[in-house]
Amino acid sequence: MSDPTTQPLLELRAITKSYGGVHALADVSFAIRAGTVHALVGENGAGKSTLVKIITGVVEPDEGEVLIDGEPVWIGDAQTAHKLGIVAMYQEPTVFPDLSVAENVFAGRHPRSRMRTVDWGAMQSEAKRILRELGVDFGPDTPVRGLGVADRQLLEIAKALSTNARLLIMDEPTAALSPNEVDNLFVTVRKLRDRGVAVIYISHRLEEVGELADTVTVLRDGRHIDTRPARELSHGEIIRLMVGRSLDALFPKEDAEIGDVVLSAKGLTRRGIFADVSFELRRGEIVGLAGFVGAGRTEVAMSIFGVDPLDAGRLEILGRPFRPRSPRAALHRGLAYLPEDRLHQGLVQPMSVSDNLSMAVLPGLTPGGFLRPRRERALARRFMEQLRIKARSPAQVVRSLSGGNQQKVVLGKWLAAEPRILILDEPTHGVDVGTKADVHRTISHLATQGLTILLISSELPEILGMSDRVLVMREGRLVAELSRDEATQERVIQAAAGVEAVA
Amino acid sequence: MIARFRAMKPQELAAAAFRLRELGIVLALVGVVIFFGARATNFLTGSNWQDIAQNVSIVVVVAVGETMVILTRNIDLSVGSIVGLCGYLVAATLVHHPSIPVEVVALISIAIGLGLGVVNGLLVAVARIPAIIATLATLAIFRGIDAEITGGKNITAYQLPDRFLRLAASKPAGFPALAWIAVGVAVLGAAMLRWAPWARDFYAIGSNPDAARFAGIRAGRRVITAFALSGALAGLGGFLFASRFPTLDSFAANGFELTVITAVVIGGVNVFGGSGTILGVVLGAVLVATISDGFTLLRLSEFWKIFFNGLAIVVAVTIDALVTRRLQEALRRRRAGLLVAPGAGADA
Amino acid sequence: MSGARRIAGRVLVRWETLLVVAIVGVGIWSVTLSPFFLKRANLLDLVTPYVFIGLMAFGLTFVVITGEIDISVASILAASIVCFAQIFAAGVNVWPAAIACLGIATALGLANGLLVGVLNLPSLAVTLGTMAAYSGLAFVVLSGEGVATFPSSFTKFGGGYLAGNELPVALLVMLGFAIALGVLLHRTRFGRYLFAIGSNREAARLSGIPVTRVRVTVFALSGLMAGIAGLVYVGYFGSARADAAQGSLLDIVTAVVLGGVGIFGGTGSMPGVLLALILVAEVRNGMQLANLSGQLQNIVIGALLLAAIIAGNLIGSAQEGGFQPGKLRRRRKGVTSDKRAEAKVLVDSNP
Repeated sequence: MSDPTTQPLLELRAITKSYGGVHALADVSFAIRAGTVHALVGENGAGKSTLVKIITGVVEPDEGEVLIDGEPVWIGDAQTAHKLGIVAMYQEPTVFPDLSVAENVFAGRHPRSRMRTVDWGAMQSEAKRILRELGVDFGPDTPVRGLGVADRQLLEIAKALSTNARLLIMDEPTAALSPNEVDNLFVTVRKLRDRGVAVIYISHRLEEVGELADTVTVLRDGRHIDTRPARELSHGEIIRLMVGRSLDALFPKEDAEIGDVVLSAKGLTRRGIFADVSFELRRGEIVGLAGFVGAGRTEVAMSIFGVDPLDAGRLEILGRPFRPRSPRAALHRGLAYLPEDRLHQGLVQPMSVSDNLSMAVLPGLTPGGFLRPRRERALARRFMEQLRIKARSPAQVVRSLSGGNQQKVVLGKWLAAEPRILILDEPTHGVDVGTKADVHRTISHLATQGLTILLISSELPEILGMSDRVLVMREGRLVAELSRDEATQERVIQAAAGVEAVA
Repeated sequence: MIARFRAMKPQELAAAAFRLRELGIVLALVGVVIFFGARATNFLTGSNWQDIAQNVSIVVVVAVGETMVILTRNIDLSVGSIVGLCGYLVAATLVHHPSIPVEVVALISIAIGLGLGVVNGLLVAVARIPAIIATLATLAIFRGIDAEITGGKNITAYQLPDRFLRLAASKPAGFPALAWIAVGVAVLGAAMLRWAPWARDFYAIGSNPDAARFAGIRAGRRVITAFALSGALAGLGGFLFASRFPTLDSFAANGFELTVITAVVIGGVNVFGGSGTILGVVLGAVLVATISDGFTLLRLSEFWKIFFNGLAIVVAVTIDALVTRRLQEALRRRRAGLLVAPGAGADA
Repeated sequence: MSGARRIAGRVLVRWETLLVVAIVGVGIWSVTLSPFFLKRANLLDLVTPYVFIGLMAFGLTFVVITGEIDISVASILAASIVCFAQIFAAGVNVWPAAIACLGIATALGLANGLLVGVLNLPSLAVTLGTMAAYSGLAFVVLSGEGVATFPSSFTKFGGGYLAGNELPVALLVMLGFAIALGVLLHRTRFGRYLFAIGSNREAARLSGIPVTRVRVTVFALSGLMAGIAGLVYVGYFGSARADAAQGSLLDIVTAVVLGGVGIFGGTGSMPGVLLALILVAEVRNGMQLANLSGQLQNIVIGALLLAAIIAGNLIGSAQEGGFQPGKLRRRRKGVTSDKRAEAKVLVDSNP
């Protein structure tokens, strides 16, 4: 446990960092003690990732100091951060696909024999020990190429464990883990804490923060708002500090008229990924697709949208058969898909708002193949207004927008295509509270206008609040279909986890 | 057979894929030998095998260096120019100072190659120039320097000391000297890649450059080292080249980089880095040199060899990519299969 | 203006100005070597020997903007013109033979495109292989001396002059293509697709852009431009040989890179490449006036290529705030050279 009389492990003093005139961080100061789990919360754009980059040596602050054990340090590169015992774990597991698990854990730090050569034996046994401690079911020899995202994250944790880090930064670590794995993770994090490691835990999931954290720091708009022991803060208070205003109803769902079946899926199968998925979507409906990560929801969406192949099954749109050969073909039949990872899959970052908004509908905007800038600008202005996208102009580069606004651009791109069926994959993932409400309002409104929405989300309140019907997937199969009335948190979780109803 | 693959553990499956590649090269080699043995006279003679061995040796020496570079997800197109330049400098040195021991001259050649390799490394690691561009430029620059130094003249065998010329012909313990050197380099290279921590870093850097940096690996230094080794071994290759083809002009070893890269790619080294073995590269070099020799004996023009090398690269890369993709799919199905148990239904 | 163009504009407006300044500067140097330099006839004829390089550079620009590379262009030129020569020598009229040449060149480029676009093989390795294969093939088709008996109605396109023997037709050809390709790149849907794919291929595909089709097409286009360059080459040099354009790859790549085309894809401009070509031609011409040997000239061009990239890196990081030599950061993009590190798309591990 931490001793309040000693030096904090890490202290930040007046840290300031700007990018091209925009402040990412302004005068941020707080301290992190060894042996604590210190949660870092804030909306997107609050400065959390910039702070992490400074601590891990990826960027340097324009002003301010970083102190380790009371001594000012200059963390100029990743190597220095490493030497100081700072390790970061990000959402996208950084692994070496060509190397084995053991080599991944010990990359760059191979155990040496007396002759200073690589000691393969020690590497194997040490790796085995750590993996067993974590309780994973793959061994040190497993080729990492075959591991899925969740396993790769566990591998990263093993790597961090083995470096005897003093400060471990975890950025949204549970995004891809099942409940079991999350519990496992928490146990391990507590072990690390008890060993005196400081853990910076960044998460949007306030339940996790409440369960795990000792201290909470809230950032907003690049400024430090408060740092307090976790037990003194309720969820509502944290949100208020993050947002600066009290919370309105998050899920303003309007009633929509539900019409005929627009999409019918029968027996969709992709070997080894999902099997025998059948459902129907109706006009004006919002259908939630719930399930834990790895249940196969995104994969089903990708297959319907023509990104990945389907091994078996039939699809019909408006009664006519549909073969999803490519996203282009899907688009042609009125499907649209908002990917989970908007940064890498939804937007072309170096291009402008206008370019991104028109990207899916260029064939219509370019008679004869020639670009019509005026038409594009008009389209951009229309959607910027409709979705309240905050940007200096349609020509602003998308990379410089906040996460919430970026998400709106992706949404706008697809709305421009006037789809019949809109598949949204985690539309409010990593989006700040204010924008979240905006997005929900938009979705609900679209449904009243006759659009059909398939909403994939890991946030139960969101699914329950927005959906007319809830489909639940578990391990590649559709295991439950619940109406709005039938759907409760308990029932959905039970179906998603496959547990018996508690008597 | 399929059932046996199904039953394999993931690591065994991956290892099997590797073994299959090396087996494939050996089979191709057998096929090639049979083909040329039937068509070309003198193909199966002892002296021809000596010839092949000599040629293979030079390729192997340079290919070991090129492998290091390719493992880090880079490429070195300048090795041909380095071989030519160092070869000429070796000969020039011996012409003007015939009493210098051959070993010293070899060391000089290696040192010059090392220096040139370091230049490449700095361009790639420090100036952040993509390796393809950087080594395309140094290919021209080094060749240009070579041309300037030769001044349009050439050096012939008559000008070189006997000691040197005999090197190529000597056969300690019945095995050509050049081949001994090549084997030594290959063994040393393989040992380094297995046992030296900094060499293991090459694999990490090629497999995922970002992750390598996050892991604290000094990628810049390693890349410079890889290019330095490539240059040094190209320098040694230049020395061997000069001893084997003692008539040198500014076009010596022109296009040699293609032969080397073909050997490396056929040998199973992934063009994206991260995986590959020296054994595979040696086998690749043997295959390439054998086919090249066969073409010569069949009196086919030089240019069939170039065509063939090109074709070989395309085929090898294609096969590699397809196999890797199948392997990855199979492994993922394996893991996913563990999760989607057949028949597990909605009945909770 | 498209966002990509804006970005390109921000760097290249400065870049293109630099190029113009450099052209003027090298011009001044050339004048000191020989006052003849400033004669109109000489200036107009400056670029003529390099028009074929320029045409290939234009084609290569399209490929590089999508994030790929094609080092087989010079070999495609050689292979297609030897076929052209053999077809012509067999008695076919020169014009249909020329069409055949273009067809063959396009087909060779298409082969590249299928391997890279459909099979998703790495373009560097593929075009390294096809560079050798096509080159070797060229020599097999036409070893030895080459064909030199083309009718002047044909050769005037590469070597002829208009307006009283002063205006080279080749220059007009090059300018014509520069304009046409410039419009294609900057003013059409197809061009926008190229920039999108080069910046973030995955997002482009998910937006319904026919990524595979476009990628295959750019390689075919690159091949076609090599074929056109080949016809100009034959016109200018008067003969078709298998070793045509050997060694020209350096100048082609230099023109592209010097033209401000980002080597990782997503940025570039046709005017920039045109200016860069003029600069390269001017530099070579100047070196000739200074009596530097061909090999020495190559050293200079090689150095110029390196300098161009370094300059681009420096400008890029200066724009991001702060000149940091030795810590020049690469721009992160959706699908970049760390293509396999893009964890989201775990199966397609090669770009």
